[in-house]
Amino acid sequence: MNRRSFLCIFSKIVLTAGLLPGIARASHPREKGPIQFVFAQIKYRGGDWNPHPLSVTPLMEELMLRTSVEAAAARHEVNLTDRDLFNYPFLYITGRYEFEPFTEEEIETLRLFLSFGGFLLIDDGLGQQGYGFDKSIRREMQRVFPGNSFKRLPTGHAALRSYYLLRRIGGMRVVSPTLDGLTVGNSTPVVYCQNNLGGAWERDQLGKWTNTCTPGGEEQRRDAFHLGINLILYAMTENYKEDLIHVPFIRKRLTR
Amino acid sequence: MKDLYFVGSVPWWLIALIAFGSLALLAQQFFSLRRRLSTGQSIFLVFLRACVYGLLLFFLFGPALVETHVTKLRRPLTVLIDDSQSMTFPAGLDRAQEGEPGPSRLDLVKEKLAEGQEPLIQRLSRDYDLQVYRFGTSLEPIAPHSVPQLTAQDQGTRLLELLQVAAKEAGSQSGILVFSDGIANGDSQKLAAGSTFPVPVFTVGVGDTEGFTDVRVTDVRAPEFAFRGREFKLDLTVQASGMKDKTVPLYFNRGRGLVTSRTVRIDADDFTQKMTLSFTPTEIGPHSFSLSIPTQAGEQITQNNSKNFKVEVQRDKIRVLTLSGSPAWNYRFLRMAMKQDPLIELVSFVFLRTPTDSVDVPDSQLSLIPFPIDDIFLEELKNFDVVFFDDFSHRAYFNPVYLDNVKDFVREGGGLAMLGGVRSFDSGGYADSALREVLPVEIDGKGSYHAHGSIPPELTASGKAHPITRLLPDPRANEEAWTKVPPLTSFNQVRAGRGQALLRAGGDGPSKGSPLLTVGRFGKGRTLALMTDDIWRWNFIAVGNRQSPQNHLKLIRQSIRWLAQEPSFEQVQIRPIPLARPGEKIAIKLRVLKDDFMPTHRASVQLRVFGPEGEPSLVAAKADSEEGEYTGEYTPTREGSYRVEADASLGGKPLGKDRSSFSAAFPYGEADDGRPRTELLKTIAESSRGAYFSINDWNEKTLEQIAAKLESHAPSQIVERRQTQLWSTLWTFLPILVFLCVEWWMRRKWGLL
Repeated sequence: MNRRSFLCIFSKIVLTAGLLPGIARASHPREKGPIQFVFAQIKYRGGDWNPHPLSVTPLMEELMLRTSVEAAAARHEVNLTDRDLFNYPFLYITGRYEFEPFTEEEIETLRLFLSFGGFLLIDDGLGQQGYGFDKSIRREMQRVFPGNSFKRLPTGHAALRSYYLLRRIGGMRVVSPTLDGLTVGNSTPVVYCQNNLGGAWERDQLGKWTNTCTPGGEEQRRDAFHLGINLILYAMTENYKEDLIHVPFIRKRLTR
Repeated sequence: MKDLYFVGSVPWWLIALIAFGSLALLAQQFFSLRRRLSTGQSIFLVFLRACVYGLLLFFLFGPALVETHVTKLRRPLTVLIDDSQSMTFPAGLDRAQEGEPGPSRLDLVKEKLAEGQEPLIQRLSRDYDLQVYRFGTSLEPIAPHSVPQLTAQDQGTRLLELLQVAAKEAGSQSGILVFSDGIANGDSQKLAAGSTFPVPVFTVGVGDTEGFTDVRVTDVRAPEFAFRGREFKLDLTVQASGMKDKTVPLYFNRGRGLVTSRTVRIDADDFTQKMTLSFTPTEIGPHSFSLSIPTQAGEQITQNNSKNFKVEVQRDKIRVLTLSGSPAWNYRFLRMAMKQDPLIELVSFVFLRTPTDSVDVPDSQLSLIPFPIDDIFLEELKNFDVVFFDDFSHRAYFNPVYLDNVKDFVREGGGLAMLGGVRSFDSGGYADSALREVLPVEIDGKGSYHAHGSIPPELTASGKAHPITRLLPDPRANEEAWTKVPPLTSFNQVRAGRGQALLRAGGDGPSKGSPLLTVGRFGKGRTLALMTDDIWRWNFIAVGNRQSPQNHLKLIRQSIRWLAQEPSFEQVQIRPIPLARPGEKIAIKLRVLKDDFMPTHRASVQLRVFGPEGEPSLVAAKADSEEGEYTGEYTPTREGSYRVEADASLGGKPLGKDRSSFSAAFPYGEADDGRPRTELLKTIAESSRGAYFSINDWNEKTLEQIAAKLESHAPSQIVERRQTQLWSTLWTFLPILVFLCVEWWMRRKWGLL
């Protein structure tokens, strides 16, 4: 090894250890198991379906680091008309701008998907109520579940207790301190966050956070990751944390 | 005897007019004769003519002779003797025996009918056209001389109904004499307002109401079904007669074991107290209970001191414990299936974090709870019916010795299901655990888990009939349904199946032909092995294919019921046994299925019946003409709860067993309340214009009173009257002819002609 080669390798080690602590931390120590979870993101017509293309991998890494879930590192992009849509019971939809209405077939598919065990996380990348993406997604969800409107999730909702005991809703901004949801029967198959979670999760290829979280900074970003993990676990365990066996433990911890 | 009556229809004024005319004619005749004859001769001839006119006037009144014949008939009398079981009760206290119960009510009746130089029954036979019947639930004629042979065995007293029957058959001249204690427990127990009988009924009350001493348990209202672990309540009534100021214990037993007892303070001669007791059953199956009060001194009826009843205890829910190695879609949809089933109570643990996962917050900010290993495996396991190991490996969490408890749990009748995944079977390290011999597949540590490919399930021959894989009732439709379920993408390969394979792996992959769903038995319990963690696809992917998710839901629910040994999933099933009557033969039917759930007539069936005191009887069960159906015949000997146990084997291998129970009881409750009902007997007598007599007051005059009452109701003499109209007979005109001839002859003699 000549001096040039040594410096090259050394510089890469320094960069890796010093500049990319996140990647080092995220390396998964567990033996790789079969993939149990795939983060599927909906592509739609019009608007901007992909405002944060690098947001999912950091969340998946965090998910595997913190929990027992084995997840695919990369997201899977799906159209609502794809034949394999139901292979991915967890769907994510985000955007900034208004988009074209879904077709009737897409609406019917989404209704079936959400009525029979699927989960949809809606993330508003613009954060303007009544405008842009918010306007379109509310319109479409009204078509999916006519007569069922978004309601604020109570602080004791299972989605806020499925792993972390969440007291704050993170994101790139804090447009709303709460989550909204559509409840069907005893479960909430649709959860809507207006704080731009994707913006908080996104990290560039060098491992640097793409966006700054305001006003809470890194703590707010951490809350966004916690919320993402909670919502994934909620989708995979439903209201498991509402089982009676958990209630006294959770109550005890919340009162500390 | 003949009497003269006038039945003429000629008006009196016309007769008077004719009489007046006749007198005028006689006067004219007299004066006419006087000119030619002497006064005496004239008077004589006018007299003769007056006789003629008088007779004719007499006939105008329509004279008739009425002849009366009186015939005395032999009056019919129907005697009814109550020979129901309540007539075995003492008629009263025998004062000569220091208050000990006297002869039975029926014996007293027989004694009364047979006493004296000329027994009453003979006198009745002499004076009446006698018909004697015994009655209870039916009316049967008996010969008068066979009264002494009567025994009080009838199971009920349809007193009012049978009285009406007897009254209709008796005829209007008849009377009915009833010897009874007045207990009526047929459809009619009280005489309806306005009810009457066409003939007089003379009721003879048997049994003392004064001094009647009895305490009884009655009106027990217990649920037919109860749920394990849930308290049920039962209501009862304690009644007592003639036991004022006494205190009696009431015992509530399950089988022979005391559940609880109460003290009952009797504070009135005619005492009634309603009570409520409760019990929390801990075992499923039929339970026999009894409520009893010990026999008290001087008590005349002891049969009603206890009541037996049966409660079928069922599990309210099937308690399922699931242990999942990590959050997964299989858990998500497994949970959904169980939560939607009202029969299932789910307790689940999902390992959200492994020991190697790191968290960035203190534990206080996590919702994770410690896995209560000791509580689950040492304490609570017995309270579950089914345990699911869902892609769960014990290795990272607890010592394998805990799995010994799971093995014991299955051996004692629990259900165990292991679902596939990277943490299951060989991959989960179970080859070295106690569950190796429990599971229905052979694992040797060399098996593997792979998550790729497309593996369609294939229904095996056993799977076609097994209740777990019976998605649709029609066999062909069921097979077709299985061809449409979405293929799987993961598989746990093991060495071989050991139990009964219901599904095999299809497709072209290396797992082709391997058991996919296998069931088996271990000890008293059942086991299931599903070699994939991917069956959520049979739900959600099916929905995406616009198919029903029901196949997945049914498979889960049916698996749980089979594992929990729900009766409807048993291979030996005793058919429901209706209420039986003591002394009547009943058929106990059962159905026997092979391990593949096909009916068989080759099974060896053991059928045992345990009586109210637990006395066992072995009953021969024979195969019926219909495949899989068996029948045993049994005759319960007395009232009470009977337990039935059946087990079957085929070729020495047990197929299963079932338990059931039935009650034997007389429908009339003769022994419930043995108080004589003199009021009812009096009401019957009054409404029929008869009379009531106490048997103790029966004497010589009683028969005379009965005879007088009957006579006033319908006399026993028949009066026959024959009427002869005098004016319409030839002989009545003879005097007229005689008078006229004499007059003619005298006139000729005296030269008037």
